[in-house]
Amino acid sequence: MPGVSIVVKGTTVGTLTSSTGTYSIRVPEGRNQLEFAFIGYVRQTVNIGGSNTINISMVSDQQQLGEVVVMGYGTQSKKDVTGSVVSVSGEKLKNQPIQSFEQALAGKAAGVNIVMPNGVLNNPPVFRIRGFNSISLSSYPLIVVDGIPVYTGDASGTNAAGNALGDINPSDIESIDILKDAAASAIYGSRASNGVVVITTKKGKQGATKVNYEGWVGFNQATNLPELLDAQGYVNIKNEALANIGTPARFFLQTLADGSTVNTNWYDVAYRTGASQNHALNFSGATDKTSYYISVGFSDQEGFIRNNDFQRKIGRVNLDHKLTNRIKVGTNFSFTNTFNKAPNTGSLPGQAFSTVGLGRLAIVLPPNVPAYNPDGTYHMNGGAIGFGANNPAVASNYPNAEVLLQEDKFTSENNRLIGNFYASLDLVKGMVLKTSYGMDNLLTENISFANRLQGDGFSPNGSATNTYSRNNRWNWVNTLSYQTTLASSHNISTIAGYEEQSSIGSAWGANRQNVSDPFIEVFQGGFGTISPSGNGLGINAFRSVFGNVNYDFNKRYFLAGSFRRDGYSGLATGQKWGDFGGASVGWDISQENFFKDSKLADIISQFKLRGSYGVVGNINIGDFPALSLYGTGLYGSVPSLGYSQAGNADLRWETSSKTDIGINLAFLNGRIEFDADYFYNDIDNLVQAAPQSPSKGIPGNSITTNIGAMYNKGWEFTLNSTNIENDKFRWSSNFNFSFIKNEVTSLANNNADLPGVTSLETANRTRVGYSLGQIFVVETAGVDPATGERIFVNRNGQKVRFSFQRPAASRYLFLEGANAGLVAPAIDAVADARIWGNSIPTYYGGFDNNFKYSAFDLNLGITFSGGNYIYYGTQAGLRDQRFWNNEAGMLRRWTAPGQTTDIPRVVYGDNTSNGSAVPMSANVYKGDFVKLRNVSLGYTLPAKYLGKTGMSNVRLYGQATNLIVITKYEGSDPEVSVNGNSNLAPGVDRNSVPLGRTITFGLNVGF
Amino acid sequence: MLDFNFNEFEMENMKINKVGGLRIFFVALLLCTVSLSCKKDFLETFPETSLSDKTAFATPDRILGQINGLYDGLKSGQHLGGRFLVYSDIRGEDFIVNKPNGVTGLDTWRHNLNSATNEVVNLWNTAYSTINQANVFMKGIDDNPGVVSSALADQYRGEAKFTRAFCYFNLLQLYAKPYTMGNGSNPGLPLRIQAETTSANNDLARSTVAQVYAQILKDLDEAEAAVPSTYATAALNTSRAHKNTVIALKTRVYLAMGNYPKVIEESNKIISATAPFKSSTGVPMQLEANIATVYGGTYTGPEAVFFLPMTDLDPPGTQNQLAHYYTAQSAGGFEEFYLNPAGIFANPVYAPGSTDARKAFIIANGTKNFVSKFKKPSPYTDYVPVIRYAEVLLNAAEAHARGGNLVRGLALLSEVRKRSNPAFVFPSAAVDTQTALINSILTERRIELIAEGFRSFDLLRLGATIPAKSDATNVAQAVAPTSPAYIWPISAQELANNKLMTPN
Repeated sequence: MPGVSIVVKGTTVGTLTSSTGTYSIRVPEGRNQLEFAFIGYVRQTVNIGGSNTINISMVSDQQQLGEVVVMGYGTQSKKDVTGSVVSVSGEKLKNQPIQSFEQALAGKAAGVNIVMPNGVLNNPPVFRIRGFNSISLSSYPLIVVDGIPVYTGDASGTNAAGNALGDINPSDIESIDILKDAAASAIYGSRASNGVVVITTKKGKQGATKVNYEGWVGFNQATNLPELLDAQGYVNIKNEALANIGTPARFFLQTLADGSTVNTNWYDVAYRTGASQNHALNFSGATDKTSYYISVGFSDQEGFIRNNDFQRKIGRVNLDHKLTNRIKVGTNFSFTNTFNKAPNTGSLPGQAFSTVGLGRLAIVLPPNVPAYNPDGTYHMNGGAIGFGANNPAVASNYPNAEVLLQEDKFTSENNRLIGNFYASLDLVKGMVLKTSYGMDNLLTENISFANRLQGDGFSPNGSATNTYSRNNRWNWVNTLSYQTTLASSHNISTIAGYEEQSSIGSAWGANRQNVSDPFIEVFQGGFGTISPSGNGLGINAFRSVFGNVNYDFNKRYFLAGSFRRDGYSGLATGQKWGDFGGASVGWDISQENFFKDSKLADIISQFKLRGSYGVVGNINIGDFPALSLYGTGLYGSVPSLGYSQAGNADLRWETSSKTDIGINLAFLNGRIEFDADYFYNDIDNLVQAAPQSPSKGIPGNSITTNIGAMYNKGWEFTLNSTNIENDKFRWSSNFNFSFIKNEVTSLANNNADLPGVTSLETANRTRVGYSLGQIFVVETAGVDPATGERIFVNRNGQKVRFSFQRPAASRYLFLEGANAGLVAPAIDAVADARIWGNSIPTYYGGFDNNFKYSAFDLNLGITFSGGNYIYYGTQAGLRDQRFWNNEAGMLRRWTAPGQTTDIPRVVYGDNTSNGSAVPMSANVYKGDFVKLRNVSLGYTLPAKYLGKTGMSNVRLYGQATNLIVITKYEGSDPEVSVNGNSNLAPGVDRNSVPLGRTITFGLNVGF
Repeated sequence: MLDFNFNEFEMENMKINKVGGLRIFFVALLLCTVSLSCKKDFLETFPETSLSDKTAFATPDRILGQINGLYDGLKSGQHLGGRFLVYSDIRGEDFIVNKPNGVTGLDTWRHNLNSATNEVVNLWNTAYSTINQANVFMKGIDDNPGVVSSALADQYRGEAKFTRAFCYFNLLQLYAKPYTMGNGSNPGLPLRIQAETTSANNDLARSTVAQVYAQILKDLDEAEAAVPSTYATAALNTSRAHKNTVIALKTRVYLAMGNYPKVIEESNKIISATAPFKSSTGVPMQLEANIATVYGGTYTGPEAVFFLPMTDLDPPGTQNQLAHYYTAQSAGGFEEFYLNPAGIFANPVYAPGSTDARKAFIIANGTKNFVSKFKKPSPYTDYVPVIRYAEVLLNAAEAHARGGNLVRGLALLSEVRKRSNPAFVFPSAAVDTQTALINSILTERRIELIAEGFRSFDLLRLGATIPAKSDATNVAQAVAPTSPAYIWPISAQELANNKLMTPN
């Protein structure tokens, strides 16, 4: 065994074993014992006697290797934890074709729900720990990397998504510990309400330098795109819609000079097969004084969306050094350059109805019109796509997607430094004073250019916007910890600390319009105008004291408590400080003698009960919500000042009381582990952007107020098992299942409903007595077989049929009853809509299987989720009877009396019957799914083939993600969220690009 | 050996000293920095780009800035800076939708709105936001006496009332039935005249149309008394309210109410008895010699009674700009709406051979014709003509005609017509009877004021059916005064949060 440290006991004379495990050492006279040490192994002391050769077998130290959980400001053996914590090893992230680590957490941990919103590279996933824990504030967990609370969310200011967590190299991560209940997270106090994710990066391990390489190449394609009408189908349907209002045909096939007919598949314009590569190389090792981990990483990923690229270059140095026996210093330091590039995909929050969104353009553009004219110029008509052979009266007002892809440019580039420096001092035995200064500096350059020919740049004759943002955070933590064992049975560990954190966000930029020459495509070129864009300046600060005590009696009875007092700058004087804390108890029955003596002990190796309660907070309220403000501006060219924010000096922390009761069971010496938890999060004092009657004229129609309440409760189960294990074959699995129920119990303004807005459309509503963000639509009752008209059900439960063909005043007619055929009141998108179902899944989980046979390994990762509805708004567009292209399913539209179908008679111009004007239940589907998320097959080269290459480990593998989805959902993928991490409007699929499928081939080599 | 041992001992000693020193250094450094960093004001942070409400009234400049802020509120692209004018025009029959886009007025054009449609929600929000700005300002100036002279404070209060009245008046034109329908007895608007800065008072019932008009007239009367006769510069005279501005707006308000004697009374204050018609007191107002000057020059001529200034740094905003909606792509527009061949565009003024100067405001693209009054390229800095002297003359002409004074009615009408076509003589059939003259005046309004936001206003105040309009692919059916679509629905947000609010 290489790298074992050997010291002559009582001296400083020492050596390390060679790569073959041999050693030699000169022993000074008078000494006769050797000490053998290696991290993770039992330290052994051997008498030398008269022997010249001493062979030792190192024995692994179960106690030491027992899994360790990184809690706030310290670590704890997993066996001792009484809070609810789930750990995911960095191994699980390895080799995944992802941009940021949390994308790989889907299905890996009970209570953790990850939803990939769509296939835009580096788009932040929806990340929820035990549900949605806020209404108006973020529900995104706190992410702590090596002790530094880092920036999260989309850092980009352009159409290119730029998840701030994409600046962390997944292959640098040693472990992810997810703190779910108050006992585990209370030490993070006011920021722990959404759960805390503690990331620990890799450290060097005792021994000679290890070199490790991981690399893969991959291919990425769009999956399950809705099938569209081709040119002929489009011409037929649209002319039929015209004929139904007595208008002659206006849509025609275009025949080119070579006799061919134009039949453009706009998917081919918008999407591609993206090729990606990823390389990670690290060097690590440690002597008894210094440990080091140095890594470099390069990732170059192409999305399946044209022009969607992600590139990351990263370097990391983690260094720990014993300055003396009592003083340790160290640093964790990473620098990242991340480059995100994307067209306007219409798939980021706020973009759903953009007329230049690629996801939408690919489905609405007419297939009987080409992207290019025969002479190679773009096919255009003013600012929109050309009309081909169609009558100009029905010209599309959407731009030619090809022009946007060729001429526009949207990028966002991060330069990111995340690092800390720490020093610790052992004061007396067990007592350590530690100081750590960390910083997260995130600099982002955003570049947008919208071309002068088509799209958003058409009217301004070319528009360039450059903005630069600087987010600087420093964080300084000082702790005093003490650990001791009294009377050999009472284990006590405590920590007390003081922390300060300051975050400054500064952004500035400008927009330039009217290019001097078509050649100009960059901000720095000649333009006609310049005006400010993307400016902002904010600051906030935390000051905190905290403490924590863990006690156990013989590892049998456990008691723990933590406390934190946080001060936050954004609250008014007198309200700045908040107290948070949690406590937990545990009882490891398997340590009781009566249990050990019973027969059960033969089967059950651990049987631990635990419970916790605590109060934590959420303070994502922004920088200055307490203040009433006046904003400066211009009236033409003279300065103006206007009331811009109604502040709330009474604003307090949003608090969340969390209860958790859990059990840990292990059978057959840990071969099977079963954990179960019941939790109840009671969120009170909800900070809500309390809606105000718009007639009051309050700026933004809202005031940040503590009002409202909600709870999340549920069950979580995890089963880890080694199902089969013999010499040749091993099958182990992790199965986890979470149930969650969310209910809003009180809201502002006498429990007024809160709309959940998807840009121009409102298909969600939050109402007391229901879960957050319910799907809210007008009920439809199919298509009237007699007339082919859409049947709506109005607020009074009456069925009304709709035809766009009739005059405005009589479009709605009663379908049945005494009033049948008489004019009915028009359907109103709000007054006639009703709560349809919850948009948040009520259960989710994963089933991860690892098989190993001889040198082969196979991983099957399955995730599932359900109990929710999805509003498939895209379908409204796919059936809209303006000049838009439609889905192939339109061929089953109503055409003859008596026909039973789900698609109404087509009437040109009709945007109501299929849901564009009014969100309707016909476009709502159940979101239940089971997904084969990941399959990988690997082969590890037997050692005999490695010979003297110096390589210790070589593994080759192939991998596929997102292979199979079993669902009744009609859209591309039930894993979708066009509104990203929105709390109020989840579960909406509107005009966005689908998810991709990635096939990768990779190589792991260790030296 | 001994030497070696001695050296080793020395080294051990040194090490111990060094270690001890380091330890002390370490602790001292920590204590130092902790104590240094414990800045008392660490948690006291303030924005550097916005002012606190505590200081917003601290200086005369800031108070003046707030007055400018009120006009800037009126000027919002969602309101008088663009969209309000567009909505009024496209509800009528003179325009056809060219780019059927729900964001740019499609459903307003074809009377297919519901309570959640973006324009229904946004205009309500924007106008009421300005109303509250005015209310907050008036409370603030009362609470901070002595910063400006009491005379100046009175003037500012007058200007605030002018903006508030204008907002209520515009809201009434879309969200309530016309005053002329039932003498204002129909449900009007929630009448907010107190400053709102807290979560209280969400619920407020609608006042009647007549009650809201009473408040508008009270505000305008008080404004007329308080604002100056004239400002120091032509730019101020056209961008802020002086006495003649308020009076001009009152002619519009009384016209909407069908109170023609009051239109005559108010207009007589600012229209001379004889031609050439002009104001005889306060800011001089009269028609430009050439109508093109109104839209192409300094925007500060005598015809510009109240124009909203646009600059590169304060433009109307995306998809709000008049030029974007109306003018041809070849002229920098986006051709959202084109002239209905069966609408006013069929008038002989636009016929081949016509020498009317207003024909120059038409620009063709293929078979479609567009209005090119507004023509500044992006970011579209055409000033918005909110009140123009030509409108005041036509308001007065109609009131005189309805009051039986056909001579003065015709004179005022001719003033407008002959400015653009000096040789023109109205045929007697068009002006000899009261009905004919009124119709001629109404037609002249459509020609003169096209794309300036008057068509729906004129139809509704007269209780006329909104005519049908269509082209090959887009159809908007006629809307009778009895139809719910005759006015806009109330914003869903208001209905959800104001428990006393009632829908239309």
